[in-house]
Amino acid sequence: MASIELVQKAGLGEIRERVRFMSAAVLLGVLLLVGRVFWIQIVDNARWLQIAEDNVLRRVDLPSTRGMIRDSRGRVIAANRPAYNVYVIPGYFPMDRFTRFADYLGLTRDERDRLEARMRNAEGSRRYQHMLARSDIDRESLALIETHRSEFPRGISVIATPVRQYPFGELAAHALGFLNEVNADDLREFAGRDYRAGERMGRSGVEQAWESILRGRRGWVRLEHDVRGLLITRDSIAGLGPDRHRDPVPGRDLVLTLDMELMRAIDRAFRGKPSGAAAVVEVRTGRVLALYSKPSVDPNTMTMGISALLNREIDENPYRPRIDKTIYESYYPGSTFKPFTALAGLEAGLIDARSQVTCTGRHELGRRVFRCKHVHGPVSLHRALVESCNVYFYTLAEAVTMDRIASMAFDFGLGHRSGIGINQETPGFIPTRAWYAQNYPGQFRIGHTLNTAIGQGNVRVTVLQLAMAYAALANGGTLFVPQLVSRVEGPDGTIIQTFPPTVRRQVSVTPAHLSMITNALAGVISDAHGTAHAAQIAEVDVAGKTGTAQVSRIVRDPTDPRRSWSTQRDHAWFAGFAPAASPEIAVVLLVEHGGSGGHEAAPLMTQVVREYFTRIRPGAPIPSVATWRAHQPRR
Amino acid sequence: MARTIQHRLRDDFDWPLFLVVCVIATLGVVNLYSATSAQTGARAELYIQQIYWLALGGGVAVIVAAIDYKVYERYAYGAYIGSIVALVLVFLLGKSIRGTHRWIQIGSFLFQPSEFVKLCLMLAVARYVHRDQRSGAWSLRDLIAPGALIALPLGLIMAQPDLGTALIVGLVAVSTLSLVRISWRTLGVIVGGGGIGGTLLWLYGLKQYQKERLTSFMSEQVDVQGTGWQAHQSMVAIGSGRWWGQGFMQSTQNQQHFLPDTHTDFPFPVWAQEQGFLGVVIVLLLYLFLILWALRIASLAKDRFGAAIAVGVAALFFWHVVFNVGMVTRSLPVVGVTLPFFSYGGSSVLAILIGVGLLMNVSMRRRAL
Repeated sequence: MASIELVQKAGLGEIRERVRFMSAAVLLGVLLLVGRVFWIQIVDNARWLQIAEDNVLRRVDLPSTRGMIRDSRGRVIAANRPAYNVYVIPGYFPMDRFTRFADYLGLTRDERDRLEARMRNAEGSRRYQHMLARSDIDRESLALIETHRSEFPRGISVIATPVRQYPFGELAAHALGFLNEVNADDLREFAGRDYRAGERMGRSGVEQAWESILRGRRGWVRLEHDVRGLLITRDSIAGLGPDRHRDPVPGRDLVLTLDMELMRAIDRAFRGKPSGAAAVVEVRTGRVLALYSKPSVDPNTMTMGISALLNREIDENPYRPRIDKTIYESYYPGSTFKPFTALAGLEAGLIDARSQVTCTGRHELGRRVFRCKHVHGPVSLHRALVESCNVYFYTLAEAVTMDRIASMAFDFGLGHRSGIGINQETPGFIPTRAWYAQNYPGQFRIGHTLNTAIGQGNVRVTVLQLAMAYAALANGGTLFVPQLVSRVEGPDGTIIQTFPPTVRRQVSVTPAHLSMITNALAGVISDAHGTAHAAQIAEVDVAGKTGTAQVSRIVRDPTDPRRSWSTQRDHAWFAGFAPAASPEIAVVLLVEHGGSGGHEAAPLMTQVVREYFTRIRPGAPIPSVATWRAHQPRR
Repeated sequence: MARTIQHRLRDDFDWPLFLVVCVIATLGVVNLYSATSAQTGARAELYIQQIYWLALGGGVAVIVAAIDYKVYERYAYGAYIGSIVALVLVFLLGKSIRGTHRWIQIGSFLFQPSEFVKLCLMLAVARYVHRDQRSGAWSLRDLIAPGALIALPLGLIMAQPDLGTALIVGLVAVSTLSLVRISWRTLGVIVGGGGIGGTLLWLYGLKQYQKERLTSFMSEQVDVQGTGWQAHQSMVAIGSGRWWGQGFMQSTQNQQHFLPDTHTDFPFPVWAQEQGFLGVVIVLLLYLFLILWALRIASLAKDRFGAAIAVGVAALFFWHVVFNVGMVTRSLPVVGVTLPFFSYGGSSVLAILIGVGLLMNVSMRRRAL
């Protein structure tokens, strides 16, 4: 025994040394663990704390309601309505009652089969997620579903989401714009603006330009969830601190200057004309009462997501429904431009009321011949405007020069963006000598000036620009910025901001010269020889100028009769104001491919003016408020 | 001549060992109470079961400490063979849980032999290598027999499969073995051979998903929703504890069920989130004290076998702590190693307390009679 004990004790010193080494290793190991935990808990804790918080406190969005848009009378032109979407949860849905469910929803056989297949094919966690069965169901289906809900306990849910609604449909669609869902590019581009997939944003018109005002601000609440996403606490939202919730801020309402009753009158006037545009502005404020572009697309269909078929139909429509013809497209002004040429001549002292030109029906310039529509004989400025004599203006143009005409046109806001602030406004174009020198060096001819004088050649204006310019003619030379939004209101109707009229420029023209022009414009209708005399109405004296803009569109598809037709007729203009003696509104109308301005556009103008002054204008007797177009479920 | 057991109890009882074990066990039960409070049913009552096991284990430890460890030396091989038989029985009449064979059902108790293999193997190795003292250093050939001793249970446990336990069993045995004198040449051959073998295994033996499992803990781009979930949520729990913790029963990661297996492999993150860095340091220092104290017992042991036992038990605690805390802090792969006294488990508690009893045994008999 003793020997074994001796053996056992042998080498104990060596073992002790080794154990000391082990102790050092253990100390090092545990210190490394402490260091590692120190790194996680103290140095790097911010990210883990954030994840821990995000784990249990899930953010639930509280949507804000988009502000409404009203017209100048307070009638709603863009509002929100609830759309009811029905979802199924395949894992809880009693499939033996599927056929009945499909009947309640009014699904077609095809839709029913597809939904059933989707439900049966759902696997794993997808079986317990919401699956869209049908969006925006009609009232009848909603009533059926709600009545028979107990047949599908936990298997279905109906969720209401707000959808933008435009009660006036196509009317003023371009000015109003529409909404649609944000896409991946938008989310990147507007990263700072807190958009979410599935949210809708303004895509054009007022909806786009005033997006930030209309949209409001989303709220949120952070509620406690567990790992399966189940809500743990039913906190009262109001009692939570600012780190746990933020109330949504509803969007603000906009009141526009548009008068939908006037818009309707214009729409009636355009009946039978497939394509055209009109703008009506208040002469003394620059407020836009009507901005009309035909044809257009119902923004309700755009907002709900347009079908590919309809989309193609719109794209192929030769009248280009997507184009806002009041500000996005520019046209030759034709004879409606002549007042500005005349003013340039008057201001330069080159002509006066007595100056006469003898119209032989033609004006020769070198080897080129510029024609007039008639042989007017000796014409003064007054007659030249009333009867729209081109020869008078050809003769004047040679003396007045291109740059004087351009300068006057610029003064009246032509050739520059009007500043209405919606859509993509085109500046139009007024040619100058400098422009020709730069783009066509050595090719400038007096002929260019002649064409410019009568609103042809390279002159391009928009309908709205011309309306603003004629308003300035009518009000003694004050050019306004066109105003479309008159005020911003809170959801409770409190006025948050009112926008006053904005003067863009006071055009320096001699009042006597201006009244010569306006008198002549009155004569266009009142004078027996006036180009628009046929459109004269008894109720209101109207002043204005007819115009015919030559069209030279390239035909892309000559076999299409609708397209070839469009190249054969000129655009018909009428630009003017009323009442002639003390103007209140300026009206500009363009009938695309209408033909002669006097025949086609002027009667429309006088019809609109008559309606406005006898029925629509504030103070005029107003008929019963038009009924809103009730929501028509999509079928 | 021989002192009475009363005298021995009074004079030689290892109070620091007893106290540190009591404190760790108490903290473990407290943490288990919090960790299982998010559960319902039987799981929420596990802390009571744990107390029962601690009490039972305490009683067993007293018996283990009372019998002179020379007796264990005599029966070391018998215990070893018994544990091997138990490991084989696991496959024959074992209960399969989640596709693994680790348990044998005895009444309502699931007995896990592999927990006891750690001790039995350690005893057998201690006996083999320290029974006789040879004059020179051990050669590679001398190591074949103890190597086979270790390899047999290791293979059986890996077949269950239970990688974590196999790892601990192997490391404890090797730690015990490491007390022998080995020539530098032998060591060089072992390290070199291990390196080459590991490389070959890595290149040709392991499948891609196994490699990913072993390396994913090092990557920042872990698959949080899949294989990296446990470690990720564990990091979240620890990190959000910061200096002082979120308070007892306040671990959101546990209460909202983001942490899995908080009663077995992941009790530490619960402790870390609730008690903060301060609590973590306290627990790690307690473990450090326990292990260093066990090593002190080893160096004071009166003979080689006692020293080897003490080193073995110290290694048992050390490797459990290193691998458990290492895996929950994403420093080591998640291999399923429990944290002594913090993890629930009857077999585990019993085995640990038997280990403590062995330590006490060696400590109380450090002085020559």
